Amino acid sequence: MATSQADLLQGTLDLLILKSLALEQLHGMGISRRIAQITNGTFEVKAGSLFPALHRLEEAGWLRSSWGESETNRRAKFYRLTKPGRNQLHIEAERWERISLAMASALRAT
Amino acid sequence: MVRRFYAFCRNVFRKNRVDHELEEEIRSYLELVAAEKVRCGVTREEALREARRDLGSLERVKENVRDIRTGIYMDRLIQDVRYAIRTLIKNPAFSVVAILTLALGIGANTAMFTVVNAVLLKPLPYFQPDRLLTVWERRLTDGTLGTVAPANFFDWREQSRSFDKMAALDPYPDFILNGNGEAKRLSGAAVSSDFFPLLGVRMALGRSFLEKEDLPGENQVVILSYSTWLREFGGRTGILGKQVTLNNAGYTVVGVLPRDFSLVRNASDFQSRNRFDVWTPIGLGSAPASWLRGTHPLSVFGRLKPGLSFERAQADLDRIARNLQRLYPVYDKEAGITAIPLRQHVVANVRLALFTLLAAVGLVLLIACANIANLLLTRAAARQHEMSLRVALGASRKRLAQQLLTESIVLAIFGGLLGLFLVVMGVPALAHHLPKDLPRASEIAVDGRVLAFTTLLSALTGILFGLVPLFQSRQASANAPLKEGGRGIAAGQSRLRSALIVGQVAVALVLLTGAGLTMKSFWTLLQVSPGFRTGHILTGRLSLPPQYLNGYKFGTGEHRRISAFERELLERARHIPGVQSAAFTAYLPLSGTDNSWAFNIEGRSPKPAGVYDVANYRPVSADYFQTIGVPILRGRGFIDADNEDSPLVVIVNQTMARAFWQHGNPIGQRVRIGGEPKQRGWRTIVGIAGDVRHENLAVRPQPQLYLPYAQAPNVEARPTIVLRTSIDPTSLTSALRKAVSGVDPNVPLDQVETMKQIVSASVGQSRFRTAVLLIFALLALFVASIGLYGVMSYLVSQRTREFGIRMAVGATSGSILRLVLGQAAKLISIGICLGLVGAVLLARFIASLLYGITPFDADTLISVSALLAGVALLASYIPARRAAKADPMDSLRYE
Repeated sequence: MATSQADLLQGTLDLLILKSLALEQLHGMGISRRIAQITNGTFEVKAGSLFPALHRLEEAGWLRSSWGESETNRRAKFYRLTKPGRNQLHIEAERWERISLAMASALRAT
Repeated sequence: MVRRFYAFCRNVFRKNRVDHELEEEIRSYLELVAAEKVRCGVTREEALREARRDLGSLERVKENVRDIRTGIYMDRLIQDVRYAIRTLIKNPAFSVVAILTLALGIGANTAMFTVVNAVLLKPLPYFQPDRLLTVWERRLTDGTLGTVAPANFFDWREQSRSFDKMAALDPYPDFILNGNGEAKRLSGAAVSSDFFPLLGVRMALGRSFLEKEDLPGENQVVILSYSTWLREFGGRTGILGKQVTLNNAGYTVVGVLPRDFSLVRNASDFQSRNRFDVWTPIGLGSAPASWLRGTHPLSVFGRLKPGLSFERAQADLDRIARNLQRLYPVYDKEAGITAIPLRQHVVANVRLALFTLLAAVGLVLLIACANIANLLLTRAAARQHEMSLRVALGASRKRLAQQLLTESIVLAIFGGLLGLFLVVMGVPALAHHLPKDLPRASEIAVDGRVLAFTTLLSALTGILFGLVPLFQSRQASANAPLKEGGRGIAAGQSRLRSALIVGQVAVALVLLTGAGLTMKSFWTLLQVSPGFRTGHILTGRLSLPPQYLNGYKFGTGEHRRISAFERELLERARHIPGVQSAAFTAYLPLSGTDNSWAFNIEGRSPKPAGVYDVANYRPVSADYFQTIGVPILRGRGFIDADNEDSPLVVIVNQTMARAFWQHGNPIGQRVRIGGEPKQRGWRTIVGIAGDVRHENLAVRPQPQLYLPYAQAPNVEARPTIVLRTSIDPTSLTSALRKAVSGVDPNVPLDQVETMKQIVSASVGQSRFRTAVLLIFALLALFVASIGLYGVMSYLVSQRTREFGIRMAVGATSGSILRLVLGQAAKLISIGICLGLVGAVLLARFIASLLYGITPFDADTLISVSALLAGVALLASYIPARRAAKADPMDSLRYE
């Protein structure tokens, strides 16, 4: 089932969403496309996990949303980072770097 | 945190809007994805279809988002509650029965709790009440506690190190308010200046007493109770600083107490006084030392210093007691000092009774819970299909359990609300039926604590009976009920139901035993002969104004003025048509008034210092014995000629005669009452009177010493007139009033009651708890019988097929009847056995509430068991007969 995978990736997904919003505000599909872009297509985020994550981050106060016009003149909900969200991004990024360094060195060890 | 709260509120209260926005957001996402695809050359229709496919189920996405929302539990709860209410509405018969049962059970519990709350739980209505203590003299010989001699109070106050303040109250002064027309008696209390500051009372108007007002000469000031201020002085603020005339003397009004002030009291405090109209400074300075140490009129209160333990205070008092024993061996050799927290003192003799009643009503609710659990079991059987279906559709067991519990709790809350409504409507009536001497009864009200109690109780009740069917459904596997029949579950259910019935019967027996014991005890108490006549007696209390008491000196027997008044009043009273005889007494039995004196017997060796023989002291007029019906067993009664000028005489009661003249004849012996001058004091015993239960019916008579009113060493300003009538005594009330005002309009008469009323009031507490326990026990019996009836009906219906087969192969309807009744009898007898064990274990806790019987009274245990067995068998007889009467063919076709 998809849930166990989603659980595994939850921290990752949150970090990716925060990162994708670091430069500018984006709507849901924009976030999904940006994540695909910055991970070179490794992660393709489906709506089923994207929207719960967005709403969770918003309720946590890291994102703020507002309705606006998309580049194709459609009504869409845009998300942007709040100040606590930006802090969280730094914290998460540092944590992730530590973990990935540790993992890399663990795997390199003979 | 704030954001979370905001999100919570939005999710819960603006659910539709939030959902709508989500839907819109997802749609716009679809559009954007589709638009992207269109740019890549797909048709718009195709693009939308693909986007949808990629998205998966729109509902699933929405559900996923909802799952992470703050307050999702709240959302589910609301869903469950809605569903529960729909289910309840769909089964009106079940819902009505269950809610009514619960309303009765929870209502009765709430009602009892309002009483317990007001009397036992609420903090006393004073500033930092936990630091308030009462302080008593303790007789070292037998440990009895008593009120305090003024000199002792002064010494304690001066020598103690553990009290912020110590204050004294003398509850006996009476005032006659002269002025506007008819003379009125006001009940007074004299207090030391620290009294109100000690309790933390702020005057509604004016000020409290000043320290200098404790001294004689400065003490002609008065504080009014709020109700007296309204009643007698029209609530005018101008009264401050004005003079009022009390006992023919001028007093300056310095303050008015707040409306809600009342002095909480133990039933035995201050004798029969339960309210004080006017308060004056105590002003003890001028009294002689012998009086200051020898009489004990004061109630003493103390406020502990902050942070000091109760034990430290008691140790401090013990130290003072040792000092005083050394300094004043004559008075204090056998005297200790005991502090009791005020709260504990106030409720001392009602605590056990109230908690017993609360426990009893809790048991009633338990029985009611078992009934509802039974109903739920029946319904759960009917809902097996629904539940299985929901499990099959993916509902988790936890989710189902949650929902079933929600249903039970919703049921219980509706029951609780209805019960609470009944209580709110019933509180005034309830307060009316409480015994008059219950402390703090005026504070009974439905307050926040009561609401919290009811809410909690309802929820607990719902959980309790809601858990039973859950326990049962745990045994059933998910798919079993989907198969036809489901016999195995029915068997499991039967066991659970049988257990519930056994429990109900057992609990009902415990309650019936409690009620049976208190009833028998109350009956025994009522059978006690008080030693006097109770029928056809009218009594009323007089307050003699100061002009009658002026010129009186302690121990001189100067009563001529009073005697003249009393002679004239008795003369008039005797001539009221319907009055057979009339007399006076200073202390009427069972009225809450009493007095005791030390005495010496002529020719006996003197007692060591500080040790006294004590007898109840009873000044009475000549016709008292024949009027109230106390027999003179030997010698003579008093005659009119036993007056101020004749030789002093006394009559002793049988108990006193036996205690002090075991072998001889007391008649002709002489006794002297403590404190009287030796030259005049010896009084000759002329008769022996029958014993009278004076304090209350349950207390054995003490030595009693009667003396002629005119020869009393002390002035009696508040005598009681006693009339023996040949007609209904209540019809003579106004004639008695007229007689009193005819002799002197300045003498107020109050507390006009028949002796029957006085006796009845004296057993008020006992009657109250007997009545309440009886009601609870009958309720328990009724509810348990209904439960038994329901369960037997169910069990019989489960066995219809079996009975049909039995009858088809030749069983008679009699044998079916016996079979079913036998099954019921088995359950009932197991229940009764368990109940007897419980009753015997619990009854010893109420032993101190019983009079004249032990808690293991075999008669009671046997009769309540028989009663319960009879009623329970009757309840199961109806379904049993139905089973026996059924047509075997019908029952076989039924399935």
